[in-house]
Amino acid sequence: MKLVNRIFKAREISSLAFLIAMFLIVGAVNPAFLQTKNLFLTFNGSVVYILMAVGIAFVILSGEIDVSIGATLGLSAAVSATLLRNGSSWGIAIAAAVAVGVIIGVINGIGVTVFKVPSIIMTLGVNGVVRGSIYVYTNGKWVENVPFDFKSLSQATFMGTLTYFLLGVIVLTAVVHLILSKTKRGKYFAAVGDNVSGATLIGIPVEGTKVAAYITSGIFAALAGLMYVSRVGFVTPTAGNGYEMKAIAACVLGGISLTGGVGTVIGAAIGSVIMSSISRVLVFLQFSSDYDNTITGILLIVIVVADSLIQRRLAEKARRKRLSARTLEEVGGGSNE
Amino acid sequence: MGTIGEPPISNGMISIRGICKCFSSNSVLKGIDLDVHSGEVIALIGGNGAGKSTLMKIIMGIYQPDGGTIYLNGEKVNMSKPSVALAHGIYLVPQEPMLFPNMSVEENIAIGFTDKKKELHTRIVDIMSQLGWEIRLDRKANTLSIAEQQLVEIVRGLLRNANILILDEPTSSLTFNEIKSLFQLIEDLKKKGICIFYITHRLTEVFEIATHVAIMRDGMITLKGLVTNFTKEDLIKGLLPSEAKIKNTEKSEDEIEYSKLEPVLEVKSLSGYGFRDIDLEVYPGEILGVAGVVGAGRTEFATTVFGMDEVKSGNVLLDGKDITGLSTRQVLDKGLNYVPEDRYLNGIFKTGEVGINISSAFLRNSSKFFLNTNAEKNLADKYIKDFRIKVTGQDQIMGSLSGGNQQKAVIARVLSTSPKVVILDEPTRGIDAGARCDVYAIINQLKKQGVAVLLISSDFEEIVELSDRVVTMYQGRINHRFNKKKITLDNLTAASFGVYEEGNDHEIGE
Repeated sequence: MKLVNRIFKAREISSLAFLIAMFLIVGAVNPAFLQTKNLFLTFNGSVVYILMAVGIAFVILSGEIDVSIGATLGLSAAVSATLLRNGSSWGIAIAAAVAVGVIIGVINGIGVTVFKVPSIIMTLGVNGVVRGSIYVYTNGKWVENVPFDFKSLSQATFMGTLTYFLLGVIVLTAVVHLILSKTKRGKYFAAVGDNVSGATLIGIPVEGTKVAAYITSGIFAALAGLMYVSRVGFVTPTAGNGYEMKAIAACVLGGISLTGGVGTVIGAAIGSVIMSSISRVLVFLQFSSDYDNTITGILLIVIVVADSLIQRRLAEKARRKRLSARTLEEVGGGSNE
Repeated sequence: MGTIGEPPISNGMISIRGICKCFSSNSVLKGIDLDVHSGEVIALIGGNGAGKSTLMKIIMGIYQPDGGTIYLNGEKVNMSKPSVALAHGIYLVPQEPMLFPNMSVEENIAIGFTDKKKELHTRIVDIMSQLGWEIRLDRKANTLSIAEQQLVEIVRGLLRNANILILDEPTSSLTFNEIKSLFQLIEDLKKKGICIFYITHRLTEVFEIATHVAIMRDGMITLKGLVTNFTKEDLIKGLLPSEAKIKNTEKSEDEIEYSKLEPVLEVKSLSGYGFRDIDLEVYPGEILGVAGVVGAGRTEFATTVFGMDEVKSGNVLLDGKDITGLSTRQVLDKGLNYVPEDRYLNGIFKTGEVGINISSAFLRNSSKFFLNTNAEKNLADKYIKDFRIKVTGQDQIMGSLSGGNQQKAVIARVLSTSPKVVILDEPTRGIDAGARCDVYAIINQLKKQGVAVLLISSDFEEIVELSDRVVTMYQGRINHRFNKKKITLDNLTAASFGVYEEGNDHEIGE
């Protein structure tokens, strides 16, 4: 009974319900959508978004935002693809991509915590810088001719249908979920986003936690960049453009509150599947997939507005309750000797 | 067990020596010495801005002192950040609990520990059962009442083996029964040898649970010792400013003849969030003082009348017309204006020019599409001259003015709308003495012009000096009313702290 209660209270459940409902509706219009093969294609196609959403979830949980992850994906993809094309080993390419993520994360983190730049501005600026450096690094050209063995990695499947990428991402999400919900330091992320002054008061290193969140976000964007290279096989200077909006929308759709403190990466992963299947859904419903970004943006705004209205009402209710508690019930105050 | 006076760096569980703290040029703590021993509950009382919270924040490592030392069990400790204080067993339960609203009770208590979850759970359950509390540990913190949140905060402190507990006005948002169970808990903690700082505004509580008492005024401790050595009157005396100052407070004005006047503002059993059953009327050319301590509901009352919050029941009449529940804009148009307590938050356009700040309220009344720049300039000039606002010119940026001059500009703006009633909320907080006199002169000038003034202030000297009548608010209600003759510091202080007794009046000239 307790378990059932908990399941129904979980915010992720509503996003899972949304996902299932969406699939069923599309399936009703076009039964081809629900064929196993298509479903797996849909799921397999969401790995890049899931990685980005899980990474940015750290930042959003701790009450900040990171709009530089699209560019981070692009740069780490460009760097690793170039190295691979020039014959470097996988290890070096992966290390270089991750290093890109770490460096960008550190810059974001320091800007937000030490210099107190509002996170949207800091990461927007970094986004511009990083996107620009992709053009500089590639001379504005596509990075092509990625070795076949690296590309084929994305096609390798486990038991026929499930790619190793998807399997890996699922396992990773589960591990991250356990870290965030079961370990001391993992809980700090949500704690910082939930109540900064409360966190300071009980000795949580607020700034360190935020820097760690940005670094994590950067690393996950870099890993997403590696998967991007493997799946797409080439890197354009605009690779990953706009992915940050998808990742943020995925988190919000998965029940992570933009004000911080609430949500799980499992929700973020479910939200990512929804986000990445929108363009496919549009095709199956015989709309142009040009509507993809518009729909993502609308979903994002609608959910955030609804969420903030609810939060504001709760806060107002709490304030009034507090004020009412201060008022004497009995007439003729003052005489409480 | 308690020692009064100052032993050498003592055996106190915590000994504070010569703590000083300034915020910019404002000296908030001027050399605080205090010793608290195991099992003692020291009540810390004092008006608003006396420095109690600052002192506690220094002990907790949130602020760094400019001078002085803290000793724990005789050893000097540098409280550089909250985690140091926590490691030394100090725990602050803030006035408004700071739980993580989206975590469960258990997560809230156990956060920061690396111990096994089961072990922690057992320890938490142990502490709770020792205290005799029952809160479901899997409830989310945002479903808890304030009292429950406070209990969770205390358990959180105890799980961290806190032996020095700071309770900042713990009863300010508790109901009667909750207060009873909190006091029971404090008794238990006392027996366990935990030392407790208990900040409060309620003198009756001091005698109920504290072993010691210290009164703070203007950043100094003016009185301290065993509770049993003092009476309520002693404490009230300790809260009052020094004798010399009292004598200086003279009141030259004659009493107003109310029988000839019609009230311009009438409030009839108004209830809202934070106050209840408020009845009062203000007459033209009168200053009605509203005294009380912070959290008594005065600001909530004022902002509700001003249309910023919801009215639960009751009526507000302005010139006999019902203005209950109107929007702020409508209330303004009817002729009631409010100067907020926190001018930084609500009052000024910090980066705008002084002239614009003064004339901005007037703008709405000039109906043209383009601004009448000349009229604006003239208006601003008039007030800058009348109010002696010290500026280099109209184009000086508001944020660069001193607090006093900012306040004058804000009042000027209010007056430019020619209101019938003005509510001034803490008009001289954080203002230097010179500017204070100017503001008083402005308020008196308003009165002469026949404006009805509602003066909310925690500075009772100010209320005594200016008011024609006074009501005191205590825990959301008006608990006493004083006519001109009975407005004395003693009476107002006693009433605001909830211990005024009729017949014990100190009339002027006594």
